Amino acid sequence: MARQPEDKADAKISKDDSTLIRELALLLDETSLTEIEIERAGLRVRVARNVSIAASIPANFAPAPIGASAQPAAASASADLSKHPGVVPSPMVGTAYWAPEPGAKPFIEVGAKVSVGQTLLIIEAMKTMNQIPSPHAGTVTQILVEDGQPVEFGEPLVIIE
Amino acid sequence: MFDKILIANRGEIALRVLRACKELGIATVAVHSTADADAMHVRLADESVCIGPPPSKDSYLNVPALLAACEITGADAVHPGYGFLSENARFAEILADHNLQFIGPKAEHIRLMGDKIEAKKTARKLGIPVVPGSDGAVAPDDNAMAIAKKIGFPVLVKAAAGGGGRGMKVAQTPEDLALALSTAANEAKSAFGDASVYLEKYLQKPRHIEIQVLGDGRGGAIHLGERDCSLQRRHQKVWEEGPSPALDAAARNKIGLTVAKAMQQMKYLGVGTVEFLYEDGEFYFIEMNTRIQVEHPVTEMITDIDLVLEQIRIAAGGDLPVTQDEVVINGHSIECRVNAENPVTFRPSPGKIQQYHPPGGLGVRIDSAVYQGYVIPPYYDSLVGKLIVHGKTRAECLMRLRRALDEMVVDGIETTLPLFRALVREPAIIDGDYHIHWLEQYLAG
Repeated sequence: MARQPEDKADAKISKDDSTLIRELALLLDETSLTEIEIERAGLRVRVARNVSIAASIPANFAPAPIGASAQPAAASASADLSKHPGVVPSPMVGTAYWAPEPGAKPFIEVGAKVSVGQTLLIIEAMKTMNQIPSPHAGTVTQILVEDGQPVEFGEPLVIIE
Repeated sequence: MFDKILIANRGEIALRVLRACKELGIATVAVHSTADADAMHVRLADESVCIGPPPSKDSYLNVPALLAACEITGADAVHPGYGFLSENARFAEILADHNLQFIGPKAEHIRLMGDKIEAKKTARKLGIPVVPGSDGAVAPDDNAMAIAKKIGFPVLVKAAAGGGGRGMKVAQTPEDLALALSTAANEAKSAFGDASVYLEKYLQKPRHIEIQVLGDGRGGAIHLGERDCSLQRRHQKVWEEGPSPALDAAARNKIGLTVAKAMQQMKYLGVGTVEFLYEDGEFYFIEMNTRIQVEHPVTEMITDIDLVLEQIRIAAGGDLPVTQDEVVINGHSIECRVNAENPVTFRPSPGKIQQYHPPGGLGVRIDSAVYQGYVIPPYYDSLVGKLIVHGKTRAECLMRLRRALDEMVVDGIETTLPLFRALVREPAIIDGDYHIHWLEQYLAG
């Protein structure tokens, strides 16, 4: 049967697709993944679980964006980043926030130019907010923590190049 | 019962605590410095949080970091192990302020027993025999000579804020007193921040005998027999055994019940050890340790009671596991503290353990966090592990210990294993005929 052209307005979920989605959802439940994304000819499916970043999440948890095989890659990727010359490691234990308060504009975004001492993030511990200054000037190329993510001492937060 | 315990320590005791938590079905959080990222208990814990760089003051003693780690992991209790913050009353109070349970005694008792002068006063009030000495601190203006002469030379000058064998100077004769006083005060000031000293009679050849206690915090308390820790080098215990070769059942019961009654009166909570010097049939209180001790496995082997597990249960409001009548001392146990040190010079030997084979078999226990390939960091104590052996009699225990020591392999670093192999063959040790100066005299040749 001829393939239907991709047309977002007309796209319907076929029986095969719904079986696939169910399988992916089951996979999510059975593993500790929060997101699975699959792409193949003409179809991309992403199944995600809502995660509230609360105290029960391990401090060194890193979300896996693409399937189970990406998880080891993600873990080793952050390990490599801790040696990146532009890495800004966390000086303390706490919860990292992008903005000075909920709803406010984040301190930085990818591509922003920062100067020495400029606040990159806030790390909160025991109700005290600690501004994390940039150790050098440059451009933000990566933000490695989610808003509200628990961080440990030495954890890579941001890459400034 | 707690849902999640944060283990505020490292090395073998952190692993020990982790094991008890797992057996109780409690989730575990391992905190560690960057130097301990590959520690065994960190690998085995449910969660881990790196809390700082290697120096203890920036990591294991870093109270804000520990609190933040509790916060982000949702831990509801903290086990402090031994050393570090385990006898820091302020830390216990801070945890309470943050609705976190400190697994240990009440802060007031930690504080009371942390001041060695107050501890002695309290012991005396509770009917525990004490070493004859000055009644409290000896101020620079006091007539120290008169006090010392009343006690009788030789006397020992001790730091009030000291403990664990530190901050002590002997004055053999009246001529030595002035120098001993000033040296001890200066050392006390720099080591403990408090120059207060007191005097005690110096016993010539005492044994160090300590009583393990367990209290429920509500007036119930039991003793679990004694440990003989006379074999020490520079006031650090090296070999501990229980029961003591020097005590019979009558002596054990008498001192045990005296101590248990005192703990009942205090409404003591958790584990503790009351330490004595024992000479010529008399017990003399020296100090109380308000924490789990390094040598706790000796008592566990002869009483079959898991002390760390009971610590956790009691901290969660539980009852004592047995009554005093139900406590049975079974057989004999010896513990050897294997350190990463040259067995002759005792120079520290940190580094990578290339080959590791722990001994096994009936009655053999290893409490250690090392493994083949593990690198012993240079920043902390040099304990490789504790070899603990149990036998039905002391003779059987010694044979088993000899066999286990000969079998144990720790290569790549220097360890004190050769020292223990020699000690277990020494006639005086085999006879159980030693005292607190014996080991240093033996090492001096």
